[in-house]
Amino acid sequence: MSAAAQREARRTEALDSFRVRGMPHRRFEHWRYSDLRAVLDAGQVAQAGTAKWNIEHLPEGVELFDLSVQDAPEWVMKTLGHVGNRRTMVEASLAFSEGGVALRVPKGKHIAEPIKLEIGGQGNLRWLIVLEQGASATVFEPHAHDAGYLRNVGVEITLAEGAELQHVRCAPLAPRSFTVELMALELAKHAKYYGHFANFGSRLSRTEAHIVLGGEGAEAHLSGVAVLGHEAHSDVTTHIEHAAGKTLSTQLFKHVAGGKSRAVYQGKITVRDGASGSDSRQTARALLMSPRAEADLKPELIIFNDDVKCAHGATVGDLDPESLFYLRSRGIPEKDARRLLINAFLEEAVDVIGNDTLKETIWHDIEAALPRAMEAAK
Amino acid sequence: MSAGSDTKDQVAALGEKYKYGFVTDIETEMAPKGLNADIVRFISAKKNEPEWMLDWRLAAFRRWTEMREPGWARLRYPKIEYQDAYYYAAPKDKEKYESLDEVDPKLIETYKKLGIPISEQKMLAGVAVDAVFDSVSVATTFKEKLNEAGVIFCPISEAIRDYPDLVRKYLGSVVPVTDNFFATLNSAVFSDGTFVYVPKGVRCPMELSTYFRINASQTGQFERTLIIADEGSYVSYLEGCTAPMRDENQLHAAVVELVALEGAEIKYSTVQNWYPGDENGKGGIYNFVTKRGDCRGHRSKISWTQVETGSAITWKYPSCILRGDDTIGEFYSVAVTNNYQQADTGTKMIHLGKNTRSRIISKGISAGKAQNTYRGLVSVHAKAINARNYTQCDSLLIGDKCGAHTVPYIEGRNPSARLEHEATTSKIAEDQLFYCLQRGLSQEEAVALIVNGFCKEVLQQLPMEFAVEAQKLLGISLEGSVG
Repeated sequence: MSAAAQREARRTEALDSFRVRGMPHRRFEHWRYSDLRAVLDAGQVAQAGTAKWNIEHLPEGVELFDLSVQDAPEWVMKTLGHVGNRRTMVEASLAFSEGGVALRVPKGKHIAEPIKLEIGGQGNLRWLIVLEQGASATVFEPHAHDAGYLRNVGVEITLAEGAELQHVRCAPLAPRSFTVELMALELAKHAKYYGHFANFGSRLSRTEAHIVLGGEGAEAHLSGVAVLGHEAHSDVTTHIEHAAGKTLSTQLFKHVAGGKSRAVYQGKITVRDGASGSDSRQTARALLMSPRAEADLKPELIIFNDDVKCAHGATVGDLDPESLFYLRSRGIPEKDARRLLINAFLEEAVDVIGNDTLKETIWHDIEAALPRAMEAAK
Repeated sequence: MSAGSDTKDQVAALGEKYKYGFVTDIETEMAPKGLNADIVRFISAKKNEPEWMLDWRLAAFRRWTEMREPGWARLRYPKIEYQDAYYYAAPKDKEKYESLDEVDPKLIETYKKLGIPISEQKMLAGVAVDAVFDSVSVATTFKEKLNEAGVIFCPISEAIRDYPDLVRKYLGSVVPVTDNFFATLNSAVFSDGTFVYVPKGVRCPMELSTYFRINASQTGQFERTLIIADEGSYVSYLEGCTAPMRDENQLHAAVVELVALEGAEIKYSTVQNWYPGDENGKGGIYNFVTKRGDCRGHRSKISWTQVETGSAITWKYPSCILRGDDTIGEFYSVAVTNNYQQADTGTKMIHLGKNTRSRIISKGISAGKAQNTYRGLVSVHAKAINARNYTQCDSLLIGDKCGAHTVPYIEGRNPSARLEHEATTSKIAEDQLFYCLQRGLSQEEAVALIVNGFCKEVLQQLPMEFAVEAQKLLGISLEGSVG
């Protein structure tokens, strides 16, 4: 079968699968805080078209394949539609998108310059990246403000033995849109993934990552911030599966919710019975800045092995009144004091970004979003 | 051999026979197999219930026929054939007993094996016992002392006859008839249970306790408990149970409702040791329980403490609705699963009022091939100013075939509220074990000591009488399975 025919077959499969499962809704346990079906129907997803992607400058050594070309090379065919399990919105992004992009970093190559992958426009989209053995790269994924009524992105990432990927995703406020991005990752032995998700909300925003630590010594380190105001919604859902021994995962998410916004974090960790010596840590904290804002946290541990260390912590609350009082007693006006404390609250989660330029970009966006998040509901 | 692998071997070698596995042969009066409106009428008629009660049951039954069994819990069990079970069984009805001598001696024998202090022991234990034997209460003691204080403590069937106004006012007001599949089933067919009313300002002079015991083969046990603490009162209620060995799975769907009015406090403690099935996962009780407390008045408090060691399947979420201002809800739990046992248990703390506080301490211990899940919700509503929650869930795994899971839901809608959740999962530390062994303790003693230490915060919450029993139970449940 030709590559084009294979793709068509996989696409038909995805279409059927999406038709059977339909839109996710709050009766799906993982969508209980983000009822997509209530705001969007399957027809709208099917007719949304294809979203746009752009890489202005491709660093040397990175291979690129445009997915709108049907005859894909083998490395694309092995990945596209094959990583992770088939969740309904992932199937939709495969079934209804006419394009996307595939990237590959060959064996042993270290790409220092970040690959800037811009995502814009309305519709479904797929992108994927393959890092071969020992390769390393950084992907910066900024999203454009305007996503029409819907943007649904499906991402596949495979990291071969010893490969290392830094991934910084930044989704600005898109108050009129529904934005969904579902990522599936597979990590081989000693591969490392550093993911940072910065969210500023949309009408309904869902960022989801399914990570399988499939080889011994694989590591996933996730961090993220959400700074929300008005009626913004942001749902970050992660599922890390420790499928092999001595795997490590850490998660640190900090959310600030003001106005009538809603910040959701759901983090599931599964430790399979063979994954001896695994270590998993997870922290999720939310600051509520307004009486109409809401924070929902669901850190979940599913453990099938006794030789593990797993811990999670979660808190929801306001700024510490004592810290606030201390700053005010030093003559700092309340608003500034609050801002200082919020910055301090978020800093931990931003600081882990390995690239200074990207760190600054994220801070810049946070600064811009903070006034909105500090407003109480009108 | 390292301590760890030794422990695992012993898990595999577990063959501890259920100590309380015996069957008492007394004539039971049974309703025919299956469930339909006529069976509901039969049960109601057996109890000489008034018309309104029958209507209530029938409404529940009609609703139940339209409901589906929930499947969201992390539990696997064969499909329950609801039409293949008996829904009513009563011990042989005698007119009246002048004294204990007249009670069926086999019944008394059963109680003795269970250690229920019904004769001399009752004085020593200082516990008033309303013993439930196969759904019908046959002996009630200490009535006079409670009467003096004005406390009503009786089988719920009696309460329906003697205190219809109280029952009508509160029954189903915490767990509505339509609440969930199992609660609705219970509402239709509950056989008996306990009713407690503590009047205004009264501190109940003793710990109240009921011993449940499932006896007749293939009989679902559907207990209904209703406890009302009127303004400024206090009551501590103890519930404990064991059940005989059995091959068929037995269904148990109890409902417990607690109502705490202004300034009242209810402490509800459970030690559950029903038959967990044998080492191959055959048999055992299916326990689907709906327990909920309503802190209806300001400054009221409800505290749940549970030690769960039995049952093949445990589905149980004792919850608190913190409706009044300044109310307090507490949940202390130890859940031990071994062999093929499965437990999905936790709590819900619903903060509605101002300055409401809740604390959740959950300790899960999983051994053998068992699965143990904590599932909890802490929800702070928009008006719950200054609400406070602290949650701690720790899991201990013994062996590499078992599972321990934590599924907390934390929902905050008020900025002045503070919610904290912590969870850890680990195994018994080798260095702790080594230290104990090096001091001359046997492996078994060492593990018992460490496990007891792990559960200490919960066991401390139990009333004296139960704390002793609970510690023994932990030992028995893990005997041979650890260390």
